[in-house]
Amino acid sequence: MRISTNTIYSEGISRITSIQEKQVKLQEQISTGKRFNSPSEDPVAAARALDISYAMDVNQNYAYTRKTAQNYLNSIEGNLQNVTDLMTSAQSVLVGAGNATLGDTERKFKANELQNKLDAILGIANTQDASGKYMFAGFKTDIKPFTSTATGATYNGNSNELLLQVDSQRFMPANAAGDSVFQANGTDVFAALTDIINLLNTPITNSTEQATFNTGLTTAIGKMKSGLDNVLNVRAKVGSQLDELDKLNDSGSALDLQYQTALSEIQDLDYAQALSDVSKYETIMEAAQKTFTATSQLSLFNFM
Amino acid sequence: MGSGILNIGQSALAAAQVGISVTGHNIANASTPGYSRQVVTQAAAQAQNFGYGYVGQGTSVATINRVYNELLNSQMVNSQSTSVGIDTYASQLSTVESMLSDTSAGLSPTLNSFFSSLKALSANPSDIPSRESFLSNSQSLVNRFNTMGNRLNEIQADVNTQISGSVTAVNSYATQIARLNDVIDKAISTTGNQPNDLMDQRDLLISELSKEIKTTVVPQGQGSYNVFIGNGMPLVVGASTYELTTMTSPTDSSRQEVAYVSNGNSTILSKDSLVGGTLGGLVQFRSESLDKVQNQLGQIALVMAESFNDQHNAGFDRNGTAGGDLFTIPAPTSQLKTQYDDGHTPGNATLGVTISDATQVLPSDYKLKFDGTNYTITRLSDNTAFTAGVLPQTHDGLTFNIASGSMVTGDEYSVRPTRDMASSIKLAISDPNKLAMAGSASTGKSDNTNGLLLASLQTAGKVKTSAGSTAITFSSSFSQLVGSVGNKSSELKVTGESERQVLASTKNAVEAESGVNLDEEAANLIRYQQAYQAAGKVMQIASELFDVLLSLG
Repeated sequence: MRISTNTIYSEGISRITSIQEKQVKLQEQISTGKRFNSPSEDPVAAARALDISYAMDVNQNYAYTRKTAQNYLNSIEGNLQNVTDLMTSAQSVLVGAGNATLGDTERKFKANELQNKLDAILGIANTQDASGKYMFAGFKTDIKPFTSTATGATYNGNSNELLLQVDSQRFMPANAAGDSVFQANGTDVFAALTDIINLLNTPITNSTEQATFNTGLTTAIGKMKSGLDNVLNVRAKVGSQLDELDKLNDSGSALDLQYQTALSEIQDLDYAQALSDVSKYETIMEAAQKTFTATSQLSLFNFM
Repeated sequence: MGSGILNIGQSALAAAQVGISVTGHNIANASTPGYSRQVVTQAAAQAQNFGYGYVGQGTSVATINRVYNELLNSQMVNSQSTSVGIDTYASQLSTVESMLSDTSAGLSPTLNSFFSSLKALSANPSDIPSRESFLSNSQSLVNRFNTMGNRLNEIQADVNTQISGSVTAVNSYATQIARLNDVIDKAISTTGNQPNDLMDQRDLLISELSKEIKTTVVPQGQGSYNVFIGNGMPLVVGASTYELTTMTSPTDSSRQEVAYVSNGNSTILSKDSLVGGTLGGLVQFRSESLDKVQNQLGQIALVMAESFNDQHNAGFDRNGTAGGDLFTIPAPTSQLKTQYDDGHTPGNATLGVTISDATQVLPSDYKLKFDGTNYTITRLSDNTAFTAGVLPQTHDGLTFNIASGSMVTGDEYSVRPTRDMASSIKLAISDPNKLAMAGSASTGKSDNTNGLLLASLQTAGKVKTSAGSTAITFSSSFSQLVGSVGNKSSELKVTGESERQVLASTKNAVEAESGVNLDEEAANLIRYQQAYQAAGKVMQIASELFDVLLSLG
């Protein structure tokens, strides 16, 4: 077959160019660590990689939300821990107040002691978080939830639950409405304490009054016990939610790992293969350049 | 007798000289594009009968021909326009592809930040900084849609420019080919010989023309070419030419169409008659990919904005006021066709198209036609027609209505519901207090009920890619878009590569036959040099013979 001189040059150059193309491609793969850099190189994998990384982001979003929920629940738990302590010590004050040897003055001391506990519990019930939101107000976090009255305290918040999406299917309440903590199941902690404080402040002059006091004290002890049960119930619920969040965090991280593995399988470069290809094409390139110069230098004109 | 020998020697000398000239010409043009090597055809001169036999009278140069294979060349021209067409399409599409898939500039990261900030806000709905953050992420999302939409508009404008450049080139090649036809025709009829170099030039022009559009050549008897383009429209007939021109599309004022001029009338060419070459590639890219990508991206923008508006309207803002729209959505584009093949004069009606249910909207263009009694609405993606005797009509989540004026028989409207959405949606809210995260007016500042519902749109199926298909999420619809562009692009790369191989092998075959081989020319040079020396020797001997005769006297 005839070969034109043009063909010798153009073929030689096009071979060298095509090797160069492959070298550039390899270099791009090696520097990015990815098997493909545009969807057309592997359209199915590219669309899949987009889906996976998006799912991964969504999963990470849940992790952030869980962190927020944990913060909320931890501070509820911390505050309720204090409430529990205050109520337990109020209970022991009540038990002490039943001592028949106490005179009016001593009972007044007890009343003052209980008043302090009541104020402290009310203070916690009106706690604000770092950004100034009232923690035990339901959705009405901008309104002070409890206002003290002569008979105890009234609740200004509502009982709405602040739900957070902590997983694809799980919406978890991340607040505790004040009425469900302090005024639930027919037991109003503030009213109970106010009642007994009033009784303690009332001097006892006869046996009827003594009897009234004794009944009031028994009621107060009972109410404080069920009030404490309410708080402990809420704490148990918060505790189990925190526990659930831990488990969700574990499964979330596991899922994240799965996504990462899948993504890496889809798009990561096989470095060993790529680096061996680099040296392969280097050899081919050198050979192509040598044969090209050798062929193009052969000319009959050299012998004329 | 002696003068006979001298004449023979002289004819051989002249023939050798022609041979050296032609060889020199070949060497000089070894790398000239489109050059076909030329060969001298030599023939023995008419012999003379002397009774005892015929005595040869030397040689003569019969003709100088170019070595040219018509079949191979027409194959090359054909394969060239296919190859250029695919390459043009592929290179245009790769711009779109890289814009969509860019990991930092694509839609996916922005979409994710948007939802992340929404989730953070719904965990802390009364917090102003969280509201600000969601608002600025909403603005970024809108910006991203706008940037991508505007970039696609730029690509549309760029296609217009390239089409008109290509049309100019086609017309200029046509003129040059017609002129060469004329010159070649005259040369052959006056001298009887082929003007090889002019013919090469004409073939080179044909080859250049085939890079713009599919070109078919029908050689005529005398040596002139008739040239047809696309699906057989005459471009050059002998010395006369036809023209292509560009026209504003009667259905889309932002679009340039290719038209064929004949008898002073311009007819817009359909994409099926524009095949191959830059022009074919551009037109194909525009109708098969660019329009679709614009419609699909616009659809995602539209459905997203509308779904958020619906949910946002259902909620209450930080002040307890009912939520308004989060995004401003422009009205779908509709346009009355301005020019009709039958010369119809359109009426004065304005067709109003409104979105009644974004989740039913499909990424397709529509055509509405009034025949005097019925309105026919055609969905162009699959040519499904809906006919009704009255407007308004609602199809695919779109309500078609006569906004003003009245239609006359034969009126036609084109509707592009999602085409311009991505480039023109806007954020409707700038006050962070106005974000409606609450489920009711008076539940309190930390009510996140509506926030949760807004955030749940992330995983809700809202986007329908075709009629009857299941709706998918925003992010899936985007990754589907990227996937389909990637698929098309990879298909073009593969077919483009194989077409390049075909073209290279036909080019090699043409070169093998018509190209100059310098070694061969070197050999020819030696051959003709020796022939020249030998002829000189013959003449020297003839002269010596003559001297012998003279010395006798």
